Amino acid sequence: MRLLFPTTAVFLLTSFAAIAGGEGEAAGLPLDAGAIWPGVPITNSMLMVWLSVALITLFCRAATKQMALVPAGFQNFAEWVVESLYDFLSNILGAYMVKKTFWFFATIFLFILVTNLVGLLPGVGTIGRYNEHGHISGFLRGGNADLNMTMAMALIFAVLWFYWALAENGVAGFLSHTFAPKGDFHGLMRLFMVPIFLAIGVLELISIAVRPVALTFRLFGNIYGGEQTLEKLMGLVPANLAFLPALPFYFMELLVGFVQALVFMLLTAVFLRLICEHAGEAHH
Amino acid sequence: MFTLLAIAAESQQNAVSELFGKFGVNWPYFIASCLNFLLVIWVLKRYAFGPIQQMLEQRRERIAEGEEKLKLIEKQLAESEATTAAAIAKASEEALRMINEAKQGAAAFSEQKAQEAIAQAQQILAKAETAAKADRDRLNLELKREIGRLVAATTAQVAGKILTPDDQRRLNEEALAKVEA
Repeated sequence: MRLLFPTTAVFLLTSFAAIAGGEGEAAGLPLDAGAIWPGVPITNSMLMVWLSVALITLFCRAATKQMALVPAGFQNFAEWVVESLYDFLSNILGAYMVKKTFWFFATIFLFILVTNLVGLLPGVGTIGRYNEHGHISGFLRGGNADLNMTMAMALIFAVLWFYWALAENGVAGFLSHTFAPKGDFHGLMRLFMVPIFLAIGVLELISIAVRPVALTFRLFGNIYGGEQTLEKLMGLVPANLAFLPALPFYFMELLVGFVQALVFMLLTAVFLRLICEHAGEAHH
Repeated sequence: MFTLLAIAAESQQNAVSELFGKFGVNWPYFIASCLNFLLVIWVLKRYAFGPIQQMLEQRRERIAEGEEKLKLIEKQLAESEATTAAAIAKASEEALRMINEAKQGAAAFSEQKAQEAIAQAQQILAKAETAAKADRDRLNLELKREIGRLVAATTAQVAGKILTPDDQRRLNEEALAKVEA
């Protein structure tokens, strides 16, 4: 009984998506998010992001409208999510940093998760109009299957990371953390280590610069790849059977949606932890 | 050198522009995405994390407060139990002492009363003895007088003469000596 509901849901989901997909469009999903209509400066992925924002807002309002000390319903669920995330992030960032940065990491996780899951709804990417190349341009497209969105999140994180790094370490601390020799070296050995750690510092800076790019393309690649896979698989068979090859991959995409949200949050949290290792020690 | 660097930079810029163009990245959409994400952050911070964390904190404080109160109550209970036990022990000790004192008091009172009774009885006995002795002395005296008077009267009638005070005294003494013997 426990398996019946999700299985049926996924079956219906894929069936609707397949039917909505029409005549098995094998051309696939374009790399860029398109305008919902020519001349309108709103992309199909933006619409999905707004839909996700609306869903999150509605849920938050429902959960926090009449808060009680003894929680029930939405409030109970929302508290469970927030508390679990807080405890989880606390283990990575430490009690001091998590208090300061929880809002960002929790937002990252919830937003990516909701956007990914909403992107699996029937009709997303399959209901639309044919463009000049004969490809279907969906009215809706997964929010994270748009590089603008993933890049926006990665760059906002990069800016915040830089701000938190400087706020916690100071400029001197930041430079020392990046370039100064680590370990217990004395005398001539320390002198030898200086150029080595300078070179390591340069590599570290390159690594820091590459992180947002990696975050951007990892999330985009996984979500775009998933959607592309589903579309391609549905295009392999006649339209009335299109749900069949995609069905197992819907389970995988549910998992990928969760895992990618978790990975993005984990990586950003770990990056911050690495630069703010000693943050909060003075406060203890 | 600078020309080469400029060419390299230009070609790299072209490559990046081409890559971004291929993926549909452009400033307006990128800024719109940034604003969308910032909006999500604001919504969640304002309507979700803020109130929920406040509620969690409030609950945590209440639990901590409850725990503190529980500890205090347990401490007070232990103290109260100790105080009660001490009070009971003290009361018990006091009661025992009072019982002993009462017992001792009762014994002393009883002894005192007994002594008083004995003394009173002895006093009564002594008074009775005194009274009896006085009565006996008085009767003895009256008897002696009567005997003297009878002896003198009998002797005067038998001898037919009037007895002198010396004769009467001698006869009385002889008669009394014979009666007392």
